Amino acid sequence: MTTPIVDGASDRPGTGEARPASPVPAVELRGITKRFGSVVACDRVDLTVERGEIHGLLGQNGAGKSTLMKILLGLITPDAGQIVINGHPVVVKDPLAAAAIGVAMVHQHFSVIPALTVWENVTLGETGRLDPRRAAREVEEIGARYGLDVDPQARVADLTTGQRQRVEIVKCLRRNPDILILDEPTSVLTLAESQDLFRVLRRVVQDEGRAVVLISHKLDEILHATDRVTIMRNGAVVSRVTTGETDARSLAREMVGREVSLRTQAAALGLISEAESAARVGAAGDPGERADVVLRVVDAHVRGPDGRRLLDGLSLDVRRGEILGLAGVEGNGQATLGQLLSSLVELEAGHVEVAGRRVACGRPGAMARAGVAVIPEDRHDSGCVLDMSVAENLVLDHLDAVSSRVLVNPRRMREHAAALIERFEIKTPSPDVPMRSLSGGNQQRVLLARELSRSPRVLVALQPTHGLDVGAIEYMTNQIRAAAERGVGVLLVSTELEEVLALSHRVAVIHGGRIMGVLPRAEADLERIGMMMGGRPL
Amino acid sequence: MSAADRVGSERLGTASAAAAVGDRARRIAVNVALYTLAFATALALSALLVVVATDASPGTVFSAMYEGSLKTGAARGLTLDEATPVLIVGLGAVIASRAGIINIGPEGQLLIGATTATAVALHAEGPAWLVIGLTLVAGAAGGALWAGIAALLRFTRGVDVVISTLLLNFIAAEVVSYAVGRPWLLQETTSNLQKLPQSDRIPEELQLPRLGSFPGFNVSSAVFIAAALVVVVAFMMARSRWGFRLKMLGYNPTAARKAGVSVALMGGGALLLSGAFAGLSGGVMLTGTVFRLQPGFSQGIGFNGLLAALIARRNPIAVVPVAFFFGALRAGGGFLASTGVPRFLVDIVQALLVLAALFPPLFLDLARRRRELRNARAAARRTAPVPETVGAAA
Repeated sequence: MTTPIVDGASDRPGTGEARPASPVPAVELRGITKRFGSVVACDRVDLTVERGEIHGLLGQNGAGKSTLMKILLGLITPDAGQIVINGHPVVVKDPLAAAAIGVAMVHQHFSVIPALTVWENVTLGETGRLDPRRAAREVEEIGARYGLDVDPQARVADLTTGQRQRVEIVKCLRRNPDILILDEPTSVLTLAESQDLFRVLRRVVQDEGRAVVLISHKLDEILHATDRVTIMRNGAVVSRVTTGETDARSLAREMVGREVSLRTQAAALGLISEAESAARVGAAGDPGERADVVLRVVDAHVRGPDGRRLLDGLSLDVRRGEILGLAGVEGNGQATLGQLLSSLVELEAGHVEVAGRRVACGRPGAMARAGVAVIPEDRHDSGCVLDMSVAENLVLDHLDAVSSRVLVNPRRMREHAAALIERFEIKTPSPDVPMRSLSGGNQQRVLLARELSRSPRVLVALQPTHGLDVGAIEYMTNQIRAAAERGVGVLLVSTELEEVLALSHRVAVIHGGRIMGVLPRAEADLERIGMMMGGRPL
Repeated sequence: MSAADRVGSERLGTASAAAAVGDRARRIAVNVALYTLAFATALALSALLVVVATDASPGTVFSAMYEGSLKTGAARGLTLDEATPVLIVGLGAVIASRAGIINIGPEGQLLIGATTATAVALHAEGPAWLVIGLTLVAGAAGGALWAGIAALLRFTRGVDVVISTLLLNFIAAEVVSYAVGRPWLLQETTSNLQKLPQSDRIPEELQLPRLGSFPGFNVSSAVFIAAALVVVVAFMMARSRWGFRLKMLGYNPTAARKAGVSVALMGGGALLLSGAFAGLSGGVMLTGTVFRLQPGFSQGIGFNGLLAALIARRNPIAVVPVAFFFGALRAGGGFLASTGVPRFLVDIVQALLVLAALFPPLFLDLARRRRELRNARAAARRTAPVPETVGAAA
């Protein structure tokens, strides 16, 4: 199913009829470079945004989009490079300085305060005398001018997400910025709300000659709402195109990179060899093995506390002995899927089966009892108890292994811990030190040891190598492979496409809380994956 | 979070692992120094207050405190009698705080427990040992019932336990006043024209036996009930599956839920149990020292027990010395008041000493947090070096 963001062709920006650009661009970033330790977030990035245009900034997680915009907003100081606003070089020390030169940003996570009213939020942070009546009138005026209808006296807590975002935009527009930046603005919006938003943005650039930068990973909205696109990958600009002259396919290809380079990188890390991957694909490529499905999620719907659809009809099957890689841009439902499989959320509709049996979702420990092991994305959240000992953390959810009906046997707990510490090469001064004192990599090993030691049917690994060094990554990937070889069905959830492609037998892509499509590894080319990551179903 | 940040936090982890092994002795020394300093300050402030507010000298005040709590056998017995209910309440509060629940209501739970215990003691028939047992059980049940209201509100309607247990204290006090003011409930059945708002004294044979006799050391046998409870609670927490899961829930409810611990059952159970301990404490006071229900029966024992648990943190063994300390303060304070020092001054001196006991752990906790923050910032600086200001200045 396609999801056109803007309906009629009339709303569609024709690049030919775009307003003539003024000779001086609104923003010019020249050679912006920013390193965090050994990671280069932005590598000599050049970006030019003209007045009167909506400029798309497209890229995956970690491509450097947000860092670049935070530099423009004065939240991050660049290591090198120059910012030129309306032809004048400037230094943006902090967000106040950015506001002074006319740069405003609507962040992905709203900064409105629910307990306050709309006009209070809009004037928040301003100094000097406050005139409530004038502020309310201004909110109404801006609303009328841009079609951002919102009651200035309403409490933000009572508004929908879409309306909250309007408040954010009104707040920005009231300061009369020349450059308006929106970071993934539609990730919290419904389809209709997104269409409204783009209509407003069009008005902002066309009638008033402002510049808008739209940060996004969604191909459709980039195609329908922008005039020009800059595509970033791994901290560098890889392509600049006029929206009218490109299509989803080439955008997707540019966004995720070329297949050759990916293979080379994976091989360099020792994660994959061509022959090996071909053999693996052959082994698990047959879709006829229905009986062997160990984990089946059917039409799962989950809504967040704010009413957002976190999972929206997600269905997937994981078979015995295979690694199903789940690719996708962060924030598309991966975290909720992880919580679902950790018994932390209840389903609104749909169900989950483990080895053919339905599991009572959301009942404490139900998934663990059914044989689902989870390596969570944030190990400090549901993965371990930092204030308990390493030995205790090794038996959190299968106390039966070391206890009678009432009492825990300390001797058996110590033996159990010693065995796992040896088998998984966990570096700890003693099994009795608190989990907190271990390094991140070793905490991760404790989790892995615990989850694998109770012979699970399914292993769910969420971002299992995130933040680990090369050695730890190799260890983790070997363990995941070995588990699959032992017959465990592995669901590998990762935003790093290299990882998914290097390890998986089949590749699924998640977008907007549902699966866009599943491909055998051999057919999973980057173009198709990129399209699905951008929200185009297979 | 960038990869760089993660590398930083891992480096931090190894550093603290090495430090954790090394500085045990230093930690003990710091603790001793802090407690000494805190109590010296509290005593100095108390002395100053005594000099300013009364004619008495600080020396006589402190020696009176000592005389009333520790000097003679009788004083030591009184201290133990005062410490017993504090200890029982404190044990219950430790159970709740292990589960991550803050029960502010032991005072009210104790009162309701005392009320149900009184009702059973005055009305149940049977051999004395059986009725004493039933009285104590009724006390525990009453306390659990009162805490159960808070548990029910929390796990069906999401009402904050701190607020509900706190407010239930006030209601409990009114329930007692009502019960002892109504002849058809618990008011005394005397032939006097003027009936006081209090219950009948429970019969002699239902009073817990005392060991020793007056001029020498003498103490209510209730102290053995408390001692047995300390052993049971400490053992169950350290060794049972229940204790393991309780700890898991208190430290990380999300991980506990994933591992199969139901917050409602486990947390609600812990809250009920802490209420039962407070109620039992009321029953013990009734049968051991007070012998009749009256308004103000609880004398702040519930709050003392709560404070004892706060000082002892999550450790049931540590409640013992803290409860003893509170018992000594109560016994010494009572004696001091009888020497003519105004009661308000006694209360202030007690409060200062309690603050002195609370200060060191809080101070250490704050210092730890500040150190962690500093380390995290240092790590962030290491991984993200201060950028040279290039270009943009032109």
